[in-house]
Amino acid sequence: MNFDAKPMNIPEALSTWGLVFGSILVASLAIGFILALVLGGKRGIPRFFENLGEGLTDLIRMSPKRVGAIANLTLKEAIRRKALLVFVVFAVLFMFGGWFLSNTNSREELQLSVYVSFVLTSIGWLIFPVALILACWGLPEDIRLRSLHTVVTKPVRRSEIVLGRILGFVGVGTFVVGIMSVLGYVWIIRQVPENVKSRLIARVPVYGSLDFRDRQGEEAESGVNTGDINPYRSYIEGASKARAKWTFDGLSPSDLQIDPETGKPALLVENSFQAFRTHKGVIDEVLHGQYTLVNPETDLRVSLPQFPVYEFRQNLAWIPEELEYYNEETQQTETRNLFDDLVVDGKLAVEARCVDVGQFLGMARPDLFIRLPDRPFASSYFKSVFGIWMMMVLIVVLGVTASTFVKGPVATILLFTLILVGTGFNQFMNDILSGEVRGAGLIESGIRILNHGNPIVEKPDSLEESVAVQNVDQVFTGLLWGISHVIPNFNIFSFKAYTANGFDVPMMAAVMPAVFMVLGFFIPCLILGYYSLKLRELEAK
Amino acid sequence: MSENAVIEIRNLTKIYRDFWGRPKVRAVNSLSLDVNKGEVFGLLGPNGSGKTTTIKMLLGLLFPTEGDIRILGKPATDVAKNESIGYLPEESYLYRFLNAEETLDFYGRLFSMSPAERKQRADELIKMVGLDKARRRQLKEYSKGMTRRIGLAQALINNPQLVLLDEPTSGLDPIGTREMKDLILKLKDEGKTVVMCSHLLADVQDVCDRIAILYNGELKQLGMVEELLASQDKTQIVSSTLSDEAIEEIKQVIAKHHGNLQEISSPTTSLEELFLQTVAESQARPGQRFVSESEQKTAESKS
Ligand SMILES: Nc1ncnc2c1ncn2[C@@H]1O[C@H](COP(=O)(O)OP(=O)(O)O)[C@@H](O)[C@H]1O
Ligand SMILES: [Mg+2]
Repeated sequence: MNFDAKPMNIPEALSTWGLVFGSILVASLAIGFILALVLGGKRGIPRFFENLGEGLTDLIRMSPKRVGAIANLTLKEAIRRKALLVFVVFAVLFMFGGWFLSNTNSREELQLSVYVSFVLTSIGWLIFPVALILACWGLPEDIRLRSLHTVVTKPVRRSEIVLGRILGFVGVGTFVVGIMSVLGYVWIIRQVPENVKSRLIARVPVYGSLDFRDRQGEEAESGVNTGDINPYRSYIEGASKARAKWTFDGLSPSDLQIDPETGKPALLVENSFQAFRTHKGVIDEVLHGQYTLVNPETDLRVSLPQFPVYEFRQNLAWIPEELEYYNEETQQTETRNLFDDLVVDGKLAVEARCVDVGQFLGMARPDLFIRLPDRPFASSYFKSVFGIWMMMVLIVVLGVTASTFVKGPVATILLFTLILVGTGFNQFMNDILSGEVRGAGLIESGIRILNHGNPIVEKPDSLEESVAVQNVDQVFTGLLWGISHVIPNFNIFSFKAYTANGFDVPMMAAVMPAVFMVLGFFIPCLILGYYSLKLRELEAK
Repeated sequence: MSENAVIEIRNLTKIYRDFWGRPKVRAVNSLSLDVNKGEVFGLLGPNGSGKTTTIKMLLGLLFPTEGDIRILGKPATDVAKNESIGYLPEESYLYRFLNAEETLDFYGRLFSMSPAERKQRADELIKMVGLDKARRRQLKEYSKGMTRRIGLAQALINNPQLVLLDEPTSGLDPIGTREMKDLILKLKDEGKTVVMCSHLLADVQDVCDRIAILYNGELKQLGMVEELLASQDKTQIVSSTLSDEAIEEIKQVIAKHHGNLQEISSPTTSLEELFLQTVAESQARPGQRFVSESEQKTAESKS
C-alpha cells in the first residue's frame, strides 16, 4: 500500500464530472427525444417537454416532510423485517475472532495491525451485503405488493420516493455502521496488548518530492537498481556522493514538537529505508545513514548525526529547532535556527545518504517523511469507518436507482457485478486508457487475436493503413473512457491500510475524493431514478 | 357540463402490452363519460371488464393508450390533484408491518399534516371504521375485512373532495357492507363526489345516483339509476304482505281495467335483472352499445 496518495485536485475533478455528466445528459436527452418522437408521434414532442418541466419542478420542489416520512417508513420496515439481525453475526464474529487472530509468534505491532484490519474489514463485509440487498429489494417489493400504489396516489412526487428510500436505507446503514464501529473500537482497545497500546496512534506524515544524485554527485534519474524486479526503491551507495534529496513544502514552526529527550522543540522525521548488503560488514550491526539539511536557496548545508537504520521499523530522528553542527569549512561548531536559516517559504530539503562502504540503502519517496504531531487513533479509525459508511451510501444510491427500473434479483446482480468490476477492473481500464497496458483498440486487438499475433508484434501494414479500424477503435476507447467514469472505483473507499499501519487518513488525498465520488453519483442517480419511476407504470407484471 | 364535471373521460383506451410491446388485452375501449360534482357514480361490470383499469388511469397509475382524462381539472399525472382525492384500492395495498395508527400517521405525513392534526384525524377515522380495539396491531395480523376498513380510513385521511372506491364492500361482512353504504351516503351529504366500482349490484343500487355498465372495456349503459331501471310498460305496486282474499280482489280490479297481471311475488333486485340482461345481450352482439327494448321501440317508430 502506498500511503503517499496525491491530494485531489477539486477543480479538475469537478470539470471531469461536468464533462461526463454533461455528455450523458445530452445523450439521454437526445435518446429521450427520439423515443418520444417514435413512440408518441405528434403528441410525443409536447409530452417530452412537459416531462422535462415536470421533472425540474419535482426535483427542485421536494418536500422535506414527505421525504422524511418515506425515509422513516423505510427505516421502520428494515427494523421490523429484522434486517438488524446482522448484529448477531457481528457479535458472534467478535466473540470468537480473538481466538484465531492472536498469534503470539508475530510481532506485537503487526498483531495490532491485524486487529484493526479485521474490525474494519468485518464492518465492511457485514454492512455492504445488507445495504445492497435492502436497497435493491425495497422499491421492487413496494411495487410488487402494490403498496406503492397507495403512496403515489397521495400528493407525493416520485423524486421524493427515490430520495426518501435512499435516505431511509442510509439511515439503517448509519445505525448499523455506527454501532458496529463503536463496538469494534472498544474491542480493539481491549484486545491490544498493553505494551503496544502506545502504537495505537494516527501518524500525520508530510511527504516531499524526491530526486537523486549519483556517486559522482551529479543529478540522476534514480539510484542504483540492485536487481529487484519492482523498481519501487532506488538504492544509494554507501560512502559515496550518491544521495537522495527530499524537498518538503508547507512547513511552519507550528509543526515542531517537543523532543522528549532534550525537552526542546524539534521536527520529527521518520524513515523506513531498506538495506542491501554487498558484503557482510559487521555482522550484528545495522547499516547507518545520515541526513543533511539543505537550504533550497542559499545551499547552506547542515549535517546531522548519523543514525542506525533498523529495517521494517520506524526509524525516528529529531531535528532540533536550534541546530548545533560542525561546519567543515570553518572547522567549528556552529548554531543555526531551523526555520530562520534553513526553511525558505516553508520549503526544506533533506538529503539522505548511506554511511557504510560498499553497502546500499534503498529509498522511495514515501520512505522519508516529516511527522507532524500525532493524532489519536480514533481520528484515523473513525475516518476509516467514514470511508466504509460512504461506500455503503454509494451502494444504497446505486441500488435504489437500479431498483427503479429492474426487479430485486436483477438489481442485486447488476449492482454486485458493478461492485466487482469497480473493485477489480478499474485499475485495468485506467491503465488501458492511459496507455500503460500495451495493446490496441478493440477491433485491432480482435484482428491480432485472429492472426495469432501478440500485442508486441509490429502492426501488419494493412492494419497500419486501415483508417477505419483506427477510427472505430477511437470510438470504443471513448466509450471505455465514459464507462470507466460511470463505474465507480470502489477501492477509493478503503482507508483501512492507513489506520492499520498507524497513519491518519489524509483529508484531501483520501477522504475528499470519496466524498466527491458519492456526491458525483448521487445527483445523476437521483435524476435517473426519478425519471424511471415517473415514466413507468407501477404495475408489477 | 364541464363546469360541473369532476372527472372527464374522452375516448379512453387502454391496451395492456407484453414485455415486447405486443398488445395483449384491450382492457378499456373508447370510453367517454363525465362524473359530476356531488354525485355518487357507479362503475358496474363483470370481473375483468376494465373498471379497475379505468380507475388506475384516472389516478395516473397507468397511462392511457389513447384518449384524455381530466380529473379535478388537472391531467391524471399531476400529483397536485391528489391533495383532494381519496383512493381505496381493490385490495388494500398497505404496509403490513405498520399498525393502524402508524399507517394513518404515515399517510397523514404525506399530506404534510401537522402531528396534532394527524393524531386527531387518525383517532377519528379509526373509531369511525371500528378498529379501535385493533389500533396497535400490525396490519399483517388483520383479517380481510379489517384491512378493508383501515384501507378506507387511509383513503379519507385528507378529507378528500373526490373519493374513488374500488370494490368498497368486497371482503366486508353484512354489517360492514351496511356501514360502508351509509358512509358513502354520508360523504355525498357532505357534498363530496364518490366514484365506486363494483360487481355487487345491490350495493350499487342502494347508493349510486348514476351508473355506467362496462362490458369488455366498453360502455354499455350510462344514466341515472332510476331511469335505467324504470320499465315504461309495467306498473309496480308494493305493499305489506296481503291476505289471499285481498290478492284475489286486486286481481279482479286489474282484470276490470284490462290490465295484464304478470306476477305477484316479493320484489327481487331489479338491477340484477338489468345487469344480467345487459351482459347476455353484450355476449350475443359484441361491440355494440346495449339498447333497451323501449329505446328500440322509440327508434323504430321514428324511422
Ligand atoms: N397488469 C395487467 N396486465 C395485463 N392485463 C391486465 C392487467 N390488469 C388487468 N388486465 C386485464 O385487463 C382487463 C380488465 O381488468 P380490470 O380492469 O382489472 O377489470 P375489473 O376491475 O373490471 O375486474 C382484464 O381482462 C384483465 O385481465
Ligand atoms: Mg377490479
